[in-house]
Amino acid sequence: MEVEEGSIFGLVGPNGSGKTTTLKLLLGLIYPTQGSGKVFDFPLGSPEYKQRIGFLPEGPYFYDHLNAIELLQFYGGLFGLGGGKLEARIEELLRLVGMWDRREIRIRNYSRGMLQRIGVAQALINNPDMVFLDEPTAGLDPTAQIEMRDLMHQLRDQGKTVFLCSHLLKEMEPLCDAVVVLSRGVVRRQGRICDLLAVQSGRYQLRATGCANVSMQSLRDKALDLTVTGNEISLLVADQPQALVVAQEIADGGGTILEFGAQTRSLEDVFIEAVAAGGSD
Amino acid sequence: MKAKPWQQAVGWALIVALLLVIQPVDRKVERDRIVLGMHSPTPLTKIVDFDPTAISGVVMGAALGGFRGLAATMMWLKMQELWDRGQGTWFSCLQVMRNVTLLDPYWIEPWKILGWHLAYNLYVETKDPQERGVLLAKGVAALKEGISWNPNTYELYAELGWTYFDKIRDYEEATKWFRASLQFPHPEYLERMIAHAYEQLPDMDRALDWYDYCLKRNPDDGTARGATTTLRLRYLPAWRLMQAGKYDEALKAIDQHLRVDPNGTIGLHVKAHIYEQAGRKREALETWRVSARVSATDQLARYKVSELSAELGLPVSPEEQAPTYLMEQYESSKRMAVPRRGRL
Amino acid sequence: MRAIYRVATATFHEAWRRRFLNAILIFAVLIIGSSWSLAYLQPGAELKLLIDIGLGSTRFFGMLIAVFLGVRLISDEIEKRTIHTILTKPVTRAQFLLGKFFGSWATVMSNMLLMSLAFYVVFMIKAPGFLLKTGGTPGEGPGIATEFLYSNIAKALGLTLVEMTVVTALAVMASTLFSWIMAAIFSFFVYFVGQVANFFKSLANPEHGAGTLSQVIFRLLYGILPHFEVFDMREAILKGTYVGWETLGMHTGLGLLYTVVILGIAYLAFMNREV
Repeated sequence: MEVEEGSIFGLVGPNGSGKTTTLKLLLGLIYPTQGSGKVFDFPLGSPEYKQRIGFLPEGPYFYDHLNAIELLQFYGGLFGLGGGKLEARIEELLRLVGMWDRREIRIRNYSRGMLQRIGVAQALINNPDMVFLDEPTAGLDPTAQIEMRDLMHQLRDQGKTVFLCSHLLKEMEPLCDAVVVLSRGVVRRQGRICDLLAVQSGRYQLRATGCANVSMQSLRDKALDLTVTGNEISLLVADQPQALVVAQEIADGGGTILEFGAQTRSLEDVFIEAVAAGGSD
Repeated sequence: MKAKPWQQAVGWALIVALLLVIQPVDRKVERDRIVLGMHSPTPLTKIVDFDPTAISGVVMGAALGGFRGLAATMMWLKMQELWDRGQGTWFSCLQVMRNVTLLDPYWIEPWKILGWHLAYNLYVETKDPQERGVLLAKGVAALKEGISWNPNTYELYAELGWTYFDKIRDYEEATKWFRASLQFPHPEYLERMIAHAYEQLPDMDRALDWYDYCLKRNPDDGTARGATTTLRLRYLPAWRLMQAGKYDEALKAIDQHLRVDPNGTIGLHVKAHIYEQAGRKREALETWRVSARVSATDQLARYKVSELSAELGLPVSPEEQAPTYLMEQYESSKRMAVPRRGRL
Repeated sequence: MRAIYRVATATFHEAWRRRFLNAILIFAVLIIGSSWSLAYLQPGAELKLLIDIGLGSTRFFGMLIAVFLGVRLISDEIEKRTIHTILTKPVTRAQFLLGKFFGSWATVMSNMLLMSLAFYVVFMIKAPGFLLKTGGTPGEGPGIATEFLYSNIAKALGLTLVEMTVVTALAVMASTLFSWIMAAIFSFFVYFVGQVANFFKSLANPEHGAGTLSQVIFRLLYGILPHFEVFDMREAILKGTYVGWETLGMHTGLGLLYTVVILGIAYLAFMNREV
């Protein structure tokens, strides 16, 4: 598999599929028994690329007697950073992750969300070209999740490569440019996310409500599939012209179109498909 | 970067090489330690004829390492607590004391107390002669073992000398150990003890020499002055006559003193000695018998009774004999050498 | 060097915040301080008691601190995954290991120095009074030799520092191999068996009737185990033996060699370990 520079890359797969192992291999925490890989053209585990990467482990734990500033000073120190430059960088990062006001609190007293935030800050201390984030949104409240997503986009916009690891597909979908689906240690699907989700069939999907005056029979004849849920209906039709006809019919009957578009698959579908394929190996 | 197998192999080879470098350094350090007396490990060979459980004690003690001194001190305090509870705990005290000496063999006090406790306190606890013998032998062995750890101080030599002097009444042996104690800074009374022992033996020339020595060292030594005056008054006339070969006159002289003090042990010993010198072995034997009768503690007289009876081919009644265990000590002493100055 | 220094200082600061360490230290200082009055429990051997409590507890608690600090160093980092955030930065495993070692070593040494200081102060104040009892008469002395007393105690404390350096390395090594409980058991075991290393040497002697194979095993054990008993100077103190600087230097050199070997083994175990 390959990761394009300046993109957000997602490694997805169910628990135990080898995501974290892959990550550890890339980070040089463990060594491959066979095969090889490269990070920025350096072989796996070589110290050269570690200046240029950042890493946020899953459920991070830090020296909890330190406060935010001390912790970042420590990690900065490992890169040989120091002095005013490091201080400025620390302030910038703490503001970025929204921890500046809480910088004096000892890590021992942090909430899960605060730990995640300071974890991101430490991963970015060296202004890396590539950041590895393991389950970055796990355990965060919705607001924090959105902030985290915004942050990742911000990073990409700065030209950094973001490498995500997650089993939370719903979050990856709006986030990633490309994903690799991993199951039982084998790559099942990979590619740009729009390609993976693209529809090969050319079918269209419609969702509408308020269709009391629309002839269900007529719709059923035109659609490949029709389901009624409460006062909402959803339809699958064979192609775009047919879809337009159906839409017109609903509009004429006083119904409201809620959704109209080419049939897509969710990442979840891809995932389930891939895992199912793995299961039949 | 993952280390390649050959890199690992080189690493382990380096470790082995370093371990080999350590060996001579280690040997040098251990030699220095023994030579300098910084701390020598507890060798099992020093446990003289004592008890086999001592081996586990030594291993335990060694395992305690740096804390053995502290452990010994704590046990010693515990022992004193037991001790204060009275006689019922005496045998428990013994165990604790022994362990203290195993834990901290350089601590002299426990050796002294252990030797004394065995040969005196526990000795009188039992009436069984065999048990007494074992206890006495253990007391002597404990002191000797203590000396092997602490050969450069007077204390344990003096303690052992006293045990021979007072308990076993083997005065010859007592003088050897007292003399050994004089090699090191020591209290004055030890020199007098040698003289006292020679008086009992009896060897009045040596006794006088030692009293003189005491007085030359310290002219204010009242005890030595008193003792030498008594000796000259009571026994020396007879002694000198005996040395001149005038045995009858010598006997007359000592009898004169014995009329005043018929049960005087030294007087009786001198009298018996004159008979021996005169070759009158039977009368010597009789005199020793008298001495043994009048003094329950005069074991020397009993040894002599046994020796002379054997020499003359006469039967000895059991009550006249020293208990076997004392006899054994007395006999074995004759084969023992006294350690010279320095480490054993 | 930078990375080693950073890891070491972080380790040092974290260690000092460990409650159990502070508890051990306070307890040790209390015990050492109590020798002030405990010495009177043993009339005639006050000095000995003072030295036994002071030196013994400095060694004992120093060892506890070194082991309990060291055994959690690496295994805790792995367990809590802090190590991931460090090794993914430009820090090699060797630097990390050395940083951890020096950090805990500095902690152990500062604890040791505090205990030693407490003991030495108590000793300097109390000992002269006990020594006065000597009165020039043999048999009424303090129960131990008085020659080189003060300097020997300082030297003995110095050797204890060397010993604890080796123990710290041992605990760190154990920590790279095992979880902390196993590592603690392992460290105590090696420490205590190291105290009786001489016993293995004498067992290896054909005189003791061991078979050839047993002899080889005993000899190997003797060769591999650090001989912790060589850092014991108690006899020299009790007997007033002069211990020269050269001798102390040899002892220190031996201790450093042990440390290097142990850390070498630790590195070999750690370098390919999955973290």
